[in-house]
Amino acid sequence: MSGEKTYVEDVDRAFYDFRNEEKDVYRVRSGLTEEIIREISREKNDPDWMLQFRLRALELFHRIEMPDWGPDISGLDMDNIVTYVRPDTARMHTRWEDVPAEIRDTFERLGIPQSERESLAGVGAQYDSELVYHSVREEVAGQGVVYTDLESALHGEYADMIRQHFMKLVPPTDHKFAALHGAVWSGGSFVYVPPGVTVEIPLQSYFRLNAPGAGQFEHTLIIVDKGAHLHFIEGCSAPKYNVANLHAGCVELFVGEDAVLRYSTIENWSKNMYNLNTKRARVERGGKVEWVSGSFGSHVSYLYPMSILEGRGAGCEFTGVTFAGAGQNLDTGCKIVHNAPETTSYVNTRSISKSGGISTFRSAVVVTPKAEGAKAAVSCQSLMLDDQSRSDTIPAMDIRTSKADVGHEAKIGRIPQEAVYYLMSRGLSEEDAKALIVSGFAENVSKELPLEYAVEMNNLIRIEMKGAIG
Amino acid sequence: MSQQIVNTPIAGTFRWLKAGGTEIDVPAEQNESYYALLEKEERTIVLEDDAAAVLFRADLEKGSVLHLIQIRRQDGGPEGLTRTDVQVTCAEDAQFHWYRVVLGGDATYDNCSVALRGEGSSFTADIGYRLDGRSRYDANCEAIHMGRRTESAISASGVLSDRAHKLLRTTIDLRRGCAGAVGNENEDVLLMDETVQNVSVPMILCTEEDVVGNHGASIGQPDERLLYYMASRGIDAETACGMLAQAKIEAVIGKIPDAQVQARVREQLHGGDGGEEA
Repeated sequence: MSGEKTYVEDVDRAFYDFRNEEKDVYRVRSGLTEEIIREISREKNDPDWMLQFRLRALELFHRIEMPDWGPDISGLDMDNIVTYVRPDTARMHTRWEDVPAEIRDTFERLGIPQSERESLAGVGAQYDSELVYHSVREEVAGQGVVYTDLESALHGEYADMIRQHFMKLVPPTDHKFAALHGAVWSGGSFVYVPPGVTVEIPLQSYFRLNAPGAGQFEHTLIIVDKGAHLHFIEGCSAPKYNVANLHAGCVELFVGEDAVLRYSTIENWSKNMYNLNTKRARVERGGKVEWVSGSFGSHVSYLYPMSILEGRGAGCEFTGVTFAGAGQNLDTGCKIVHNAPETTSYVNTRSISKSGGISTFRSAVVVTPKAEGAKAAVSCQSLMLDDQSRSDTIPAMDIRTSKADVGHEAKIGRIPQEAVYYLMSRGLSEEDAKALIVSGFAENVSKELPLEYAVEMNNLIRIEMKGAIG
Repeated sequence: MSQQIVNTPIAGTFRWLKAGGTEIDVPAEQNESYYALLEKEERTIVLEDDAAAVLFRADLEKGSVLHLIQIRRQDGGPEGLTRTDVQVTCAEDAQFHWYRVVLGGDATYDNCSVALRGEGSSFTADIGYRLDGRSRYDANCEAIHMGRRTESAISASGVLSDRAHKLLRTTIDLRRGCAGAVGNENEDVLLMDETVQNVSVPMILCTEEDVVGNHGASIGQPDERLLYYMASRGIDAETACGMLAQAKIEAVIGKIPDAQVQARVREQLHGGDGGEEA
């Protein structure tokens, strides 16, 4: 076999990269002003406290500095971003037949209604700034599970619960894009699982950003009450444009005593997207949050789901894979705060870089003096597929009690040539051999996903691997 | 006094961790500066900690070997803070070995940056510390791999008790062109009291495909089974922990290749009983 490298152009990502013409949509002007915030608030029929919240967040956005420690985001000009785009539908629907044909077709092509029929307990579908479809199976609703859009919840019987929890875990003071989110948020889902209820099959929200030059700022708020169990899946994609798009969503998860929440994400934004998303969970005594995260898309990502282990025996597992290809700078990882005794965390991540892509694993494990008996283990592995790419591992551990046990291991390397030769000797092409090895490398994530999503993830890897042989 | 930001690592991380560069007041007096140029020779240098701020630079030409030993004693040496900045470049097959022992002092700030430019050059760092009271140790150690088949191994091991604070950033920077390079980082920290603080930021940066970078860290209490075994031999927990701390320092000293220098270092550490423990 020749040791020379062969480069093949990327295949197109037609599965995700289709777009609809914008027609009859309502959009605010680009940029960020008080008038625009008031306009969004009016459009959404906010209660007054929410308008005031948005305005305070806008002030903070203007005051807080850009992050200076991560990937360059100077290409993101907020003056060119449209922060609210309402699609061509008057309201959210509960039957796919009622969703406008073009939008319905988009989600059909993404396989959402099919997944709903086959393997989901409920689905929310957001198109640009608004939820266009939301439905939950009767038997799940019958258990008392609430799964609806956040705006409806804000005006209904859960209004107080929303006010009590909204942006309490991720306050707008947290960072510049949390402030932005607080000012312009729109869409997203609210889930409440009552005490002791187990939702047997997952709920899914899918976020599609179709409008060029727009931002998507959905807010997901999930409360899993004492002893309840839920698996929530988040998917996202967008067609590629020549202008920058922005995603600055926010996810807040409240996991009650002895409750378990698994939050899975397959993120496949287009490669003109700035993905500056914030996700955070607070876990009470004996509860557990499990993050399963696949990051494949976007031009630049800052994504570090945070788990605050607040009750004795609370736990967190973070399993992630990041695949950075040409033109991508994906800065991903997680943050964990052990703030109670006997809390545990386990982090297991994989990063893959190819064709000039940059992947960075960045993490923070903090063990406070309250966390006697805490245990934390972090394992991150990175794979370099060529010498044009970059892979960085930047973990940090801040330990403030002696009664803790913290372990960390990291490894960076390339695909073992012996494994490639072996597979080729069994009849696989070099490309297929490498794709198989990379799929195996990412198995930590795929094995945690429901079958359909694991297949999707492996397809994404296969598509990405078409771009590089050698 | 002059205010400086020291120990800024090559890559930054979350601002709220405050693990980037550290702002300190460095006394204007008591500054010392050393420069060594080694040409195909092996040399051992022991830097005494009698200056507040030390700049040590060395260029190691082909095949040269430099052992740099630095001790911060528990007593003696300057009061207040000391700051050391070590900058070394290694040409082909050159080796730089840094042995650093910190046993106290109000605050010790170390920066050690080694550029492995030449093919086959290597860098090892062995850092041992035993901190108590309100001692602070703040360090940044980086191996910059530029040449082919370069190797680095950064190893830190220590014990924190009372209100001691340690912040260690280590970086293996595998740059494009360093094919065949191997970098390893390893850290082992024992925490003895509730009031200590340990911050570790072990980074691996990589822009080359054909390399290996590894990091491993273990932070926590002494192994219970070990303490149990010691107790069964009549050694109480406090004594056992003291022995563990001593063992970590001895492990660093034991790596110094010259027995006479080892004895001299032990003499510094123990005030005259050097050599007897060798």
